[in-house]
Amino acid sequence: MNSREQILSDIRTALQRDPQSPRQPLPASARVAARVPGDASAEMQMLFNEITRLGGVAQHVPADELTRALEQLVQQQQIRRATCWNTPELAALNLPARLTQLGVQLVSPHADPRALAECDLGVTGVDWALPETGTLVLCSSADKPRAVSLLPRVHLAFISPSALRADLDSVLDEVKGERYGVFITGPSRTADIELTVTIGVHGPKALYVWSIVK
Amino acid sequence: MHLPEHIDFRANVQSVAPHIPRSVRQATTRFLGTRQAVVDVLGNERWQALRQAGHAIRLHTLNYLDDYLTRLEEQVVAAGGIVHWARDAAEARRIVLDVMRARGVRRAVKAKSMATEEIGLNHALQENGISVLETDLGEFIIQLAGVGPSHIIVPAVHLTKEDIADLFTRKLGVSAPADPLQLCAIARTRLREEFLAADVGISGANFMVAETGTLVIVTNEGNGRMCTTLPPLHIAVVGIDKVVPDLNALNVLLKLLPRSATGQKMSAYTSFITGPRRTPQEGGPQELHLVLLDNGRTRILSDPLLRQTLLCIRCGVCLNVCPVYNHVGGHAYGFVYSGPIGAMLSTQLLGVRAAAALPFASSLCGACAEYCPVQIPIPEILLRLRRRVVEGDHSENAVAPLTLRASARVGALALRLPWLYAIGTQILAFLQKPWQREGWLTRLPPPLQRWTMVRPLPAFGANFRAWFRHRANVTK
Repeated sequence: MNSREQILSDIRTALQRDPQSPRQPLPASARVAARVPGDASAEMQMLFNEITRLGGVAQHVPADELTRALEQLVQQQQIRRATCWNTPELAALNLPARLTQLGVQLVSPHADPRALAECDLGVTGVDWALPETGTLVLCSSADKPRAVSLLPRVHLAFISPSALRADLDSVLDEVKGERYGVFITGPSRTADIELTVTIGVHGPKALYVWSIVK
Repeated sequence: MHLPEHIDFRANVQSVAPHIPRSVRQATTRFLGTRQAVVDVLGNERWQALRQAGHAIRLHTLNYLDDYLTRLEEQVVAAGGIVHWARDAAEARRIVLDVMRARGVRRAVKAKSMATEEIGLNHALQENGISVLETDLGEFIIQLAGVGPSHIIVPAVHLTKEDIADLFTRKLGVSAPADPLQLCAIARTRLREEFLAADVGISGANFMVAETGTLVIVTNEGNGRMCTTLPPLHIAVVGIDKVVPDLNALNVLLKLLPRSATGQKMSAYTSFITGPRRTPQEGGPQELHLVLLDNGRTRILSDPLLRQTLLCIRCGVCLNVCPVYNHVGGHAYGFVYSGPIGAMLSTQLLGVRAAAALPFASSLCGACAEYCPVQIPIPEILLRLRRRVVEGDHSENAVAPLTLRASARVGALALRLPWLYAIGTQILAFLQKPWQREGWLTRLPPPLQRWTMVRPLPAFGANFRAWFRHRANVTK
């Protein structure tokens, strides 16, 4: 008997379970009520408050002030190189051109990880967001490489109000079809040295979340 | 870490440096405070409903474990992953080594994982010429220091920033100031290079979703994401108890885990990994191996009470509330798992011969059970394990010394038979005479000296009935 068969057989013996007997569904006590959302603007405000509390920067950016906001960010964080997801939503914001205009060198999101690690800024969208916990959910695809939200020093995520979900439960329903997802809640952190909360360990040191107001 | 053959809890406690419990208590106090704050935000009613649901989900999964594991395997394979089954630590180490050898791996980076600690993987890899680096900051520090973890969530909490600065200066050859932010920056720079150069990333998983074949990994620093995104090969070693039925069940457990562990509503990063990458452009490993580890877990399943040990989601809150753990810290428990979960799990994984002292390392106050997010009846399980140590059961023979077992039996008999009890008290009152000093027994012969070397024992008085009769006469 190979190890797989052995382990499965040991489990059945221990549980005194007949493998032919059907599995019962999860009991009713395993269900919990989902959270009831507030109105759209209250939900966005709650998300922003949570992200701020975690050390991130969340703000509404009027569409016509996007370049100015970017300019401020580039100056504040001393951004020299940036990389960006290749999605229609971000393309519509014309981000690569705006950043180049500000003197920022653009690196392809498909570049070698070493090149991405040298980027100061990684720009992504947000697939879903959870106001209650301040969480952004990012899935991956050819146009949405995983490392863009991981390797650069600063992560800038653009969120639209349609990404908001009331409860983790509903996000998990939607994530079901995806092969990879990361739930991001604030910038990377640790309390491993004398319990001092330190922002920016291996992941990004700063997280910016912008919602564009038309 | 080698698998311990004998854990001497008492001796370990004696050798704990006094500053360790002090820093451990700072950590546990902090975590309990932040936990309470996030539980209050949810409200107690919602929290208790979550705990009840968490318990129901985990118990249901264990009761159909074979079914969920085969379903998980199907889904991981369908997503392009490779599944291995390991009966014990040696087999798991061999599987990991074989996969690495076949691909010429020389450098490994590792995210924090209790399962790989349990099987002593690092040691095996290093013996075979593969360098392996812990990348969780706390684990990185204790790996440099060459000591074990003192707390499940903050493994290096017993070291001061000065200790760590000194360690970095000596081992990394950099001048390190005693400042958490700068020490963090040094580790970031150092490990960044390792992440980019590694041939393999090793991780555990907090949960495995049977419905989708997804590995769920909860971290804060981003090192878990690095290990599972950058190297071309990802190997996850996970206990078979970590499976959950579906994503809706996961919803409940993901709400319980970070809140109980660190008092966060969500940890900074929760990764959902289903198979290797589909396209080179999205990044991520080309190959994903999942090693399902038994290592004594199926044995734990056979008893319906002890089975509940495996409900555990490794949040560590039972350590934080445990008065014993708070006084001794993690090292005293002699194995990767410490505190109440260590007392339950080590005893069953290693056997009572190796860990007979651990079920007794508890005051049975029950705080752990009150806080446990999946409602494990920890004191009852510890009592059952104490009985196993002393009397033996269907799974293991007793290991308590014959003298202890014999005296326990005599004691039980005496408490059942009043006449024997009456005679016994008179005999004991007589026998103690040579050691009695003004109402105290200060130094008793072996094996009773183990008590008196710590504190004196009050001498047996007259027996209670005689005292009561005398007292009645006086009041009359």
